[in-house]
Amino acid sequence: MRWPGWFGRRRDAEIDEELASHLRMAIADRLERGEEPDAARRRAFIECGNPVLAKEATRSVWTWTAVEQLATDLQIGARVLWRAPALSATAITLIALVIGGNTTIFSMVHAILAKPAPGVAADRLVTLGWVTDGEEHPGNSYPNYVDVAAASQTLNPMLAAGFKRLILTTTEGSYAIKGATVSTNYFETLGVALARGRTFTAQESRLDASGLVAVISDRLWRDRFGASPDIAGQTTILNRHVTTIVGVAPPEFRGVALNERSDVFLPLVASALIDGQQAMLTDRGAPFVIMIGRLAPGVALAAARAELATIAQRLPRVAGDTARSRTIQLFPYSGTAAGDSLVAQRGPWFLAMFSIITALTLFIVCANVANLMLARAVVRAREMAVRQSFGASRLRIVRIFVAEALAIGAAAWAAAALFAFWTTRALPRLMRPVDGDSAPVAFDFTPDWPVLGYAMLLALAGAAIVSAAPAIRACRQDLQPLLKTGEQGVIQGRSNVSNGLVVLQLAFSVLLLTTAGLAYRSLAVLSGSDLGFNRDRLLLVTINTKAAAATSAANVRLLERMVEGVRAVPGVSTVSYARRPIQNFWVPERLGGGAGERPIVAERNEVGSAYLRTMGVTLIAGHDFDARGDAAGAVIVNQRLANLLWPGEPAVGRTLRLGTSAQPLVVAGVAPNAFYSGYRREPDPNFVFVAASHALPAPDEATLYVRYSGSEEGIAPAVTRALRAIDDRAPIVYLRSIEEQLEGLTWPIHALAILLAAFAVASLAIATIGQYAAVAFTMRRRIRDFGVRMALGASSADILGSVVREGLRLTAAGLLIGGGLSIAAASGLRSMLFGVTPTDPRTYAVVFALLGAASLVACYLPARRSARIDPMQALRQE
Amino acid sequence: MAIRSTPRTDILQGTLDMLILQTLRWGPAHGYSIAQAIRSASNDAFRVETGSLYPALHRLEQRQLVRAEWKHSDNNQRAKYYRLTAAGRRHLAREQSRWQQVVDAVHALMRPREQEG
Repeated sequence: MRWPGWFGRRRDAEIDEELASHLRMAIADRLERGEEPDAARRRAFIECGNPVLAKEATRSVWTWTAVEQLATDLQIGARVLWRAPALSATAITLIALVIGGNTTIFSMVHAILAKPAPGVAADRLVTLGWVTDGEEHPGNSYPNYVDVAAASQTLNPMLAAGFKRLILTTTEGSYAIKGATVSTNYFETLGVALARGRTFTAQESRLDASGLVAVISDRLWRDRFGASPDIAGQTTILNRHVTTIVGVAPPEFRGVALNERSDVFLPLVASALIDGQQAMLTDRGAPFVIMIGRLAPGVALAAARAELATIAQRLPRVAGDTARSRTIQLFPYSGTAAGDSLVAQRGPWFLAMFSIITALTLFIVCANVANLMLARAVVRAREMAVRQSFGASRLRIVRIFVAEALAIGAAAWAAAALFAFWTTRALPRLMRPVDGDSAPVAFDFTPDWPVLGYAMLLALAGAAIVSAAPAIRACRQDLQPLLKTGEQGVIQGRSNVSNGLVVLQLAFSVLLLTTAGLAYRSLAVLSGSDLGFNRDRLLLVTINTKAAAATSAANVRLLERMVEGVRAVPGVSTVSYARRPIQNFWVPERLGGGAGERPIVAERNEVGSAYLRTMGVTLIAGHDFDARGDAAGAVIVNQRLANLLWPGEPAVGRTLRLGTSAQPLVVAGVAPNAFYSGYRREPDPNFVFVAASHALPAPDEATLYVRYSGSEEGIAPAVTRALRAIDDRAPIVYLRSIEEQLEGLTWPIHALAILLAAFAVASLAIATIGQYAAVAFTMRRRIRDFGVRMALGASSADILGSVVREGLRLTAAGLLIGGGLSIAAASGLRSMLFGVTPTDPRTYAVVFALLGAASLVACYLPARRSARIDPMQALRQE
Repeated sequence: MAIRSTPRTDILQGTLDMLILQTLRWGPAHGYSIAQAIRSASNDAFRVETGSLYPALHRLEQRQLVRAEWKHSDNNQRAKYYRLTAAGRRHLAREQSRWQQVVDAVHALMRPREQEG
């Protein structure tokens, strides 16, 4: 490969010299024959032909390799762009924005769908999906795992994993943790090298006298074992069983699935045996493990698929299994598709949808840039005509445009990559921790090579679109009139297309802006809204009583004791508990015994004594539950529900039936209307609170509501100590303020609002610049027309007005279409909106005003320039 | 590629290459003398312009059918001399036989047929 530059320049000089010597010899020859010096020179010149063409043609012999051509063209392109920096910067920014935005989204999608969980060597790992009669099941039974793993030659090794909630008891107390029960080859299959200790031996899958063994996560090792260097061999207590810790996983590794992160890994068989779940090990019909295998060296995915399909056919069937077909599908492993082949299967579909949207936006933006280029192409039409008349072929002209577009594309790609790096770093900060985990799911959004390659493809596509329009125009252009008179009137317009694009882009901007606006309005409503109960200094403490209470009755007794214990903490004013914390919704329950024909649905929660007092509301009638039991009644309803059931009559003392239960429950009190379960979309939710002393919830998670005075920092450790003192076998799952809990409900909309706002701003910029380009283009074409009109007495204000009016017609059309689109889209987004209607007039008014103003500027700037022209000059210029 | 690479003379593109190689059989020569040789050998029928000659020469050089070096001519002027390579000789032999076939075929086609009956 030869590069231009040094070699190229030397070659140029050589060709020049060679041609010069040719001419010298021709002249010398003629002089020798006795010709006059002047005539000799002239004739020799004619004889030799055009030296410039000869040089070009000779040089092209050497430069005609694709890469060199590209490099030369890019040089030309860059030079052309450098001469019009404002325009070039605009074009590059536009394309960089759209590519960058798309790259960001693509890296997110890519990270979510295709990247492995941290620490896993994902190369050649596949997830097994089980399909019975065309229906997908992510997991399968342990006996099937054993058979498939034994039979398969193509997948070796293959692991099985299940998930388990555990209670860890150390000398300091009990903790609720998430665990995985795994086949003994788990770490080897995933290519995870332990940071300390060892993995499981084959014997440890059986349960013998040595008891249970476990590998723990780095996080657990630091938090609960003080990062003890001699951890291997220490014992601890898991679910009341003595367990020996044999190893510590590397820091980043938290299991195969991003949505179920584990802190402890136990041998599957031993764990099932010790917890009395022997049935799971032998029941072929009980799906509780996911399976992941690594393709054996040299085996293609297709071969493994074929083999597993055969193995699936041969698996023994459960008695009574009527499935007609049964097969195993293989999917490339990813952190989200770990056990869920549904995700793996829909991934490509999602990517396809995304690509279509990407292609559309890219098209619009590039069309805008093409518009800009067109506006300039008009100015350069004459330059091109001159080039053509000097012998540049049409192909050559097209290549100049392509070179420009490629230069833009290359610059835009670089800018977009930077943009994407930055945004993908910033985005994970919007994520919030999932309940009970200290850290948010750590998606790795940073673009990798496939993503950057994707961006490059986009840039190339963009360059193609951008260069197409001006190039085609330049080719079609008839030279003669341009050369003769520089007549600008002959330039064929494409204004209909470009106007259409402007309208479309404006409509898109309206859509994005209104959606972002509605999201922000929702947030404003949320942060300022009155939920109906007192949010000030309320602590939520979720505990797990599974290990501490044997029966439901003991569970309720334990919870009431905890309430007593926490109430004794200095600074705590009232305490109660409920089966569920405040979250999006509680269990909806149908009510019997009402007066109306339509079923009445209410949200249900089991609560302890003084729950409503703790929430800071005063009952309208009747009494709160008391600690002794349900002497006064078993349920409390909110006012709206009372009015629905017994309109105009007192509710206290009446009875109602919940769900399918036949037992009537006596109403003890009526609570005021409030959003007890957090923000709701429906303005009027119904609530029914059942006394825990009556409903007797089984030992599991429950949440204490603690109203306190003073600071959270002061109260939280005291509450934690008090709970430990009562029963340290009931660990705290998580502890947070009501504000944190409520924020957990609103962060998706917060993230949506930020993303939408960013896209809306970008879209607005694109639309404005697009409109500017369209108006500038029109103005260029009509400069002579303006000159004539001004010569005939039109004032600059007239010209200005007419150009701006024309531009604003597009704006009006865009706003109208965009308004319609927004209303349709916002109706679809209704589920994410709080307290605003999809047609919120204030949002629309602001958006229309903003866009109108931006549009006005976009029209005014080029219009002002056309109004300033000197009519004589405009006419003479023709 | 762009700029007129077809010769303005009537010489077919491939034929010019062959004529140049043929001229170089008598020894190394620079561009001007090659053009003059072709012109005089064809009795002024073929005039080769620089716009065709030098691209052709450089193409041949690129394909390593000729080798070029800068030397001083008889009247002490620097000029670029082209010399046939072994590959060039082989190529010329092939081209000549192919050319002969074309000439024979055209000749056979153009020969007036004997009248029937």
